[in-house]
Amino acid sequence: MAPKAVAPAVVDEDPQAYEDKNVHAIYDEIASHFSSTRYKPWPIIAAFMHSIATGWIGLDAGTGNGKYLPLPLDRPTDILTIGLDRSINLLRIARNAGDSSATREVVWGDVLGHGWRSGVFDYAISIATIHHLATHERRIQAVKRLLESVSPLHGRVLIYVWAIEQDELSKRQIPTGDGNSDRIGRDVVVPWVLSKKTAAAGKETLEGQVEQPVFNRYYHMFAKGELPGLVHEAAKDLGIQVGQRPMVLSDISTIRRGVEIVQDGWERSNHYVELRCWEISG
Amino acid sequence: MVRLITHNLLACHVKGCNTNNFPLEFRDVQIELREAEFNPEFLKGFMPKIEWKALVDAARQLGDTSLPLEQPEMLDDDFLKNLHHVLLEIHVEEGIMTCPNCKHDYPVLNGIPNMLLAEHEIG
Repeated sequence: MAPKAVAPAVVDEDPQAYEDKNVHAIYDEIASHFSSTRYKPWPIIAAFMHSIATGWIGLDAGTGNGKYLPLPLDRPTDILTIGLDRSINLLRIARNAGDSSATREVVWGDVLGHGWRSGVFDYAISIATIHHLATHERRIQAVKRLLESVSPLHGRVLIYVWAIEQDELSKRQIPTGDGNSDRIGRDVVVPWVLSKKTAAAGKETLEGQVEQPVFNRYYHMFAKGELPGLVHEAAKDLGIQVGQRPMVLSDISTIRRGVEIVQDGWERSNHYVELRCWEISG
Repeated sequence: MVRLITHNLLACHVKGCNTNNFPLEFRDVQIELREAEFNPEFLKGFMPKIEWKALVDAARQLGDTSLPLEQPEMLDDDFLKNLHHVLLEIHVEEGIMTCPNCKHDYPVLNGIPNMLLAEHEIG
């Protein structure tokens, strides 16, 4: 397979309208083909889900085809993950993710919304989603929504986004950015070529060849350090300290709520952070 | 799916609608009952997060009166089985959920609640 070309993108209109055209409409079109290529959970995410305590409920913000909803596989009824997505066609697939006889809890909504009781979830994951938001402010807002959705006492959050730094197995060729992009990330569009099988029902050219429709999805490729940077900005907006829970409480300390970045890593062309909330009562 | 476990978490998020925005009220609902695996340990872990009155009221709106008005302290098997049924086996397939405060309607279609807002409603 030839490397997929990734082209630079410029967001030059209302970001919501831009995302509607360049992200949401596309996922609704390619849902079935996309889902058939996304079935294997990434190990760090599977491990995170495995570590969740029995009786906990979680939010999967940008659930896509719902591949994380059935986890952990060895004790699937011990926790309940609710899948949120903007694409109704992906949600129709997510409803039966993992086992066609099981029904998953899914909600049609935006990751920038907050249609929940604040802090009601014990954990939240957002995998390969925030990189589809078209401005820095909207990406901060998405992290704020995740922090607001989980318990201030013990909430755990895992976020994955696409990295500029691609691994050698990646099929993609990344355009080189200007000097700034190593710090602030890079806006690109990535082509999705609808499979021949799926497209066969579509148009034929004069030569009798089946034309494969190409959809260019918008991504913000994250620079190293940019994702924990979003966490810092989101926490600041919410009045939450970033760092470890203090071991010794001093009377003069005014710090009451915090979030610790317990993992900050790169895996298979993605940056990820794992967060843990803490609160000091009284 | 909108099962009552999810309904107990959902709140209205229209711009400026911050009080009395929970629980959403069901209207014109069609429900389906589907068996789910009973897991008492999950239920015990989830119990502290339940808004009890909202759950009992929603169950009664859907015709299930098996839950006591007050959340019991003793969790016997009969109670946990009733709780399991109410939270996880009643599926709202079609209907409307209305905010008690601003009266915004959130439709449920084919078992999927639509919590999207129009641009001018986003807070």
